[in-house]
Amino acid sequence: MKIGFYPKLAWMGIRRNSQLYTPYLLTCIGMVTMSYIVSFLANSPLLDPLSGSSVMKEFLRIGFVVFSVFALIFLFYTNSFLIRRRKKELGLYNILGMGKKHLALVLLWEAAMMGAISLAGGVFCGITLSKFSELVLMNLLKEDIDFTLRLSGTAITQTLGLFAVIFGLIFLNTLRQLHVTSPVALLHSEDFGEKPPKTNWPMALAGALLLAAAYWIAVSIQDPVSAILWFMIAVIMVIIATYLLFIAGSVAICRILQKNKRYYYKTNHFVSVSSMIYRMRRNGAGLASICILCTMVLVTLSSTTCLYLGAEDSLRQSYPRNIYLDLSVERDQEDAVTIQQQIQQYAQKVVEQAGTNLFNELSYSAVSYRGKLENGELTLQNSLYNSADYNQLYDVMVVPLEDYNRLMGTQETLEPGQALLYLGKDSNYTGESIQLEDGESLQIVKKVDGFADYQMDRALMRPVIYLFVEDFDAVTEPMLSVLDENGAPMTDLHWYYGFDLEASEQQQIGIYQQIQDWVLENGYSAKCQSVAEERSVFYGLYGGLFFLGILFGIVFIFAAVLIIYYKQVSEGYEDRARFEILRKVGMTGREIRQSINSQVLTVFFLPLLTAGVHLGFAFPLIYKVLSVFGLINLSLLLAVTVGCYLIFALFYILVYRITSGSYYKIVSGPKETL
Amino acid sequence: MSILEVQALKKTYTTRMGSNQVEALKNVSFSVEEGEYVAIMGESGSGKTTLLNILAALDRPTGGSVRLDGQELSAIRESKIAAFRRDRLGFVFQDFNLLDTFSIEDNIFLPLVLAGKTPQEMKKRLEPIAAQLGITSILKKYPYEVSGGQKQRTAVARALITHPRLILADEPTGALDSRATDDLLGLFEKINHSGQTILMVTHSVKAASHAGRVLFIKDGVVFHQLYRGQESDAQLYQRISDTLTLLTTGGER
Repeated sequence: MKIGFYPKLAWMGIRRNSQLYTPYLLTCIGMVTMSYIVSFLANSPLLDPLSGSSVMKEFLRIGFVVFSVFALIFLFYTNSFLIRRRKKELGLYNILGMGKKHLALVLLWEAAMMGAISLAGGVFCGITLSKFSELVLMNLLKEDIDFTLRLSGTAITQTLGLFAVIFGLIFLNTLRQLHVTSPVALLHSEDFGEKPPKTNWPMALAGALLLAAAYWIAVSIQDPVSAILWFMIAVIMVIIATYLLFIAGSVAICRILQKNKRYYYKTNHFVSVSSMIYRMRRNGAGLASICILCTMVLVTLSSTTCLYLGAEDSLRQSYPRNIYLDLSVERDQEDAVTIQQQIQQYAQKVVEQAGTNLFNELSYSAVSYRGKLENGELTLQNSLYNSADYNQLYDVMVVPLEDYNRLMGTQETLEPGQALLYLGKDSNYTGESIQLEDGESLQIVKKVDGFADYQMDRALMRPVIYLFVEDFDAVTEPMLSVLDENGAPMTDLHWYYGFDLEASEQQQIGIYQQIQDWVLENGYSAKCQSVAEERSVFYGLYGGLFFLGILFGIVFIFAAVLIIYYKQVSEGYEDRARFEILRKVGMTGREIRQSINSQVLTVFFLPLLTAGVHLGFAFPLIYKVLSVFGLINLSLLLAVTVGCYLIFALFYILVYRITSGSYYKIVSGPKETL
Repeated sequence: MSILEVQALKKTYTTRMGSNQVEALKNVSFSVEEGEYVAIMGESGSGKTTLLNILAALDRPTGGSVRLDGQELSAIRESKIAAFRRDRLGFVFQDFNLLDTFSIEDNIFLPLVLAGKTPQEMKKRLEPIAAQLGITSILKKYPYEVSGGQKQRTAVARALITHPRLILADEPTGALDSRATDDLLGLFEKINHSGQTILMVTHSVKAASHAGRVLFIKDGVVFHQLYRGQESDAQLYQRISDTLTLLTTGGER
């Protein structure tokens, strides 16, 4: 009889407060599920044979740690809502004669029940969904799938361990709260008078200035890699500014509106503005957190989505042809042309043997050359880092005009001593002529818009200049004859050769390996690459990032939604009395609904809108960072970012409808009796 | 001419299960003349609050009629009722019903804002009323900063500022200490002398003894009424208590 008392009381408590407990329970289950899935995938044997698996698993492991920290903070936060609402009930028990020890026992039972339900439900959902997530992941990685359901003992232990710790900590925190409050305080904890918020002008101004400065930094950063420090500073500034603005700035704006009597004393502004001050004071920090969370979700989602969707693009940029070969020939090697022909013939043969054909052939000679460009004079630099001025470093590709004309289908003609110029990304050379080492000065006749092969331009972070010349050998001679301190030439003559294949990835890899082996056998110094081979590593990286982006997007969205739900519900109870008064004083039901609507809308959509503005200002930066990854498709990024925002907003609106529904129910319901 | 005419008013509540019917008001008839100060007395459950809610158009009667200024309340459309309430009636409640998010001044302005008045006009109306009620110095404060008596005076100011035809007061002294009660009742008398019609529901004999006429409600009907005539507050107080004693000990009807 006595044994069953506390569990029964605990269970009743949960049941009676189901409006509060159900969302919390669902969140716990969701968190456990997510944790199991992440842990499951990080330990999945299915990933092992993949070439990108180590990258992917590393991501997932880091993801699990980040997730754990997030789950702890978030569940702590939501649980504090629960405790606040429950205090009255606990105070009543206390007054009816239950000591704090007994209350602790009730709470322990409650925590145990909630914990057991969440863990059981979460692990069950996790196991059910793990196969699905595995399929999604394999699909993203462009790998084959199987349909066997696996259980991961490691994942279960990891998850149970993690959440045992989290739930334990939450329970201890509840006990601490219970311990420091007296029974009367417990009874009245919900209704204490509130001072009207004072406007904190310095805080509001500081927030506005910080935000402006952060936006300015974000927009004016040119090179995200060298400015990584500034980037971090900008992010931190935005976060601080968001908090300041939501907490102090919102109150300041409401106060300004109140000062404007013509605006303030209007039916639809009067109640809303004055209530918003209180609402923002109480919720400013929470809304700012939601806003930052939203921004993070949006940035992560849009950039990972874009990376993933643009993966083929960036692959093509980095590997311009299915099979790509870079042969270096020493200066005095007489048979360079013969070797080239041999390689070409062999490739042709291998492809024919494989029963397919090659097309889109690309072949050209070039001397590539890294140097310091000063006063139109380019000097070879041995090392990147002993150079005094990193900004003056350029990579120069000297290519025969003959090859240019052949590849581009043009009929350009040049005199000796003249050159065509193509500027790669980030290079802005404006000189009329250029001198290579101690060679003759080349007069730049024309700037052209492109070249068949962007591989160098994409692979390097430095600006690249292409020079197309008529008398290739004469021009490159001074460059090729520069020797380093060991007496070896500092640069070689390169021959680039590539082609596309009408073949499956498997076949492509086969052909690639044959050519590779043959080149090595013959002792040529050539570097051979196959997109097919690189693709899985590529997708391991980008697909993994994308998957984590989605996963965290979902988690963060749920977090944001739940925070808002609890805020609305707990405010609903407080607002009920207020709207009852307004009705008595002569406000129509319609006016009341309008006022509720405008307030709820503001609270709901302020974070979303601010997140949108943040995202807008972050956009140039995201674009620049992504271009480092070889993604330069601006319209894709724009579409994906806007798309992510819209999908996010759609989801948000859906939740808004549900939440505002239950808010209306509370506000228009009968007075709470206890 | 009568400001308020209540004829054969009836209100029946159906309990939630729909089986039991409770008659809160059976047959209430009375009228209030312009400039009168009427108190309605009765025990808990006698139907006082139901009556007040119907008079305030917050609730609809089951039968009978209520005419305010000759206008039948039940004939007013739902959409107009809030505006009607706002313009014609002023309310003073037991628990003040002030909004804690508004300053004292804004609380008083509330009905005017709802009526769409300009800030200048509101200011003009507020000044004499605030002076009369002695709350000029606390206008910028918030409800949590002022005493119960000051809160109730704020509520009175809010009721008066629309120049209503009738003020409905529901246990206005219920949450006040005796000094604040005396203050408020004095205030009501003063307002009444300046021509304001007041209808007050109370079960405080003291509060009722300040009125010009006292109606007694029992079991959903008007059981008795007393006129002050030329009597002093103390004499009326005595007569009210006698009547109440009679009521509770169950005298003949």
